[in-house]
Amino acid sequence: MEELEIVQGCLRGSQSSCREMVEAYGNLVMSMALNVVGNRQDAEDICQETFLQVFLHLDRFDQARSFKTWLLTIVYRRSLDMIKKKRRFAQFSARARFEPAVVERGGDPHPAAPDPLPSALLKVLSPRERTALCLWANEGYTAKDISEVLACSASTARVYLFNARRKIKSSLENDHGLLQNG
Amino acid sequence: MAFCKMVDAVYSAIPLGWLRDLLIRKHMESCPRCQGRLASRAEVKRLFVTPAEVGTTEDLWRRISARALAADGAARRQPAPAGAAWRWAAAAAAAAVIAVSGFWLLREVQRPGFETAAVRPADRFEIAYVNVGGAPAQTFVYQPQGSDTVFVWAARNP
Repeated sequence: MEELEIVQGCLRGSQSSCREMVEAYGNLVMSMALNVVGNRQDAEDICQETFLQVFLHLDRFDQARSFKTWLLTIVYRRSLDMIKKKRRFAQFSARARFEPAVVERGGDPHPAAPDPLPSALLKVLSPRERTALCLWANEGYTAKDISEVLACSASTARVYLFNARRKIKSSLENDHGLLQNG
Repeated sequence: MAFCKMVDAVYSAIPLGWLRDLLIRKHMESCPRCQGRLASRAEVKRLFVTPAEVGTTEDLWRRISARALAADGAARRQPAPAGAAWRWAAAAAAAAVIAVSGFWLLREVQRPGFETAAVRPADRFEIAYVNVGGAPAQTFVYQPQGSDTVFVWAARNP
């Protein structure tokens, strides 16, 4: 089903269209939230809240614009809200990434593969830079598209991208140097 | 590279954030050495979780629909705001009082003998004398036609 058909179905109150929307965009929303907040539990909350908000306010969506960009704008705003509320995602993300998993006695000897998390290197970035970089790398967004999600000018979005790419390059080089020097 | 580092240091000293950002961006866009200091899309992509890596969203719809139903139910069960019941009761009581007193007034007015003519004016208005400052004063009495009102004007004698 096409993007617009799904949206119109949801506007008519069709439950199957709503379900289709969640199935079509669930992974995108989840990955975006996960990349911005850095932990899975918060990302799942954001994902659910985003879709609830979408269903509630779908009539405000301008159908001449891209639904995906509108959806990602909501994810970004909900993620910022979550970060503001918690202010602890950086430590949590680092712990979840590097702490060895403790398997209790009697536990599953072959535990399932851990859920993927964004790299700890991304901690050097602000939430805005993370979002800009994620949209650029994962979705192939241009500075103009990113500016729509971040609600800023295209040149500001370009600055976020430049700064983020520079910081990441520098972190990658430091990381590489540390690995080489032991 | 040294030149770029020097430019970077000079730009960093600029207090205005937007100007600094603009100059850095302009420089980086035009400088091939600085372009090399930016992470490539492939390098960056490895750091992020992609939608394909997230896994299935099988139970996502179930959780969302459950939350939507719960929110809908809560909205329906939502009690009226505090004080609303009192306001309705007060309004109903006021309406009842107005209706009863209006009915009673109407009955009183329609009773025989309530006409204005029933209240008869005095046949004659009399003033024996009027003193102003201890001395008899000039007095004028005026009663408009068809009215029960009497105006008395007293002035000191010249």
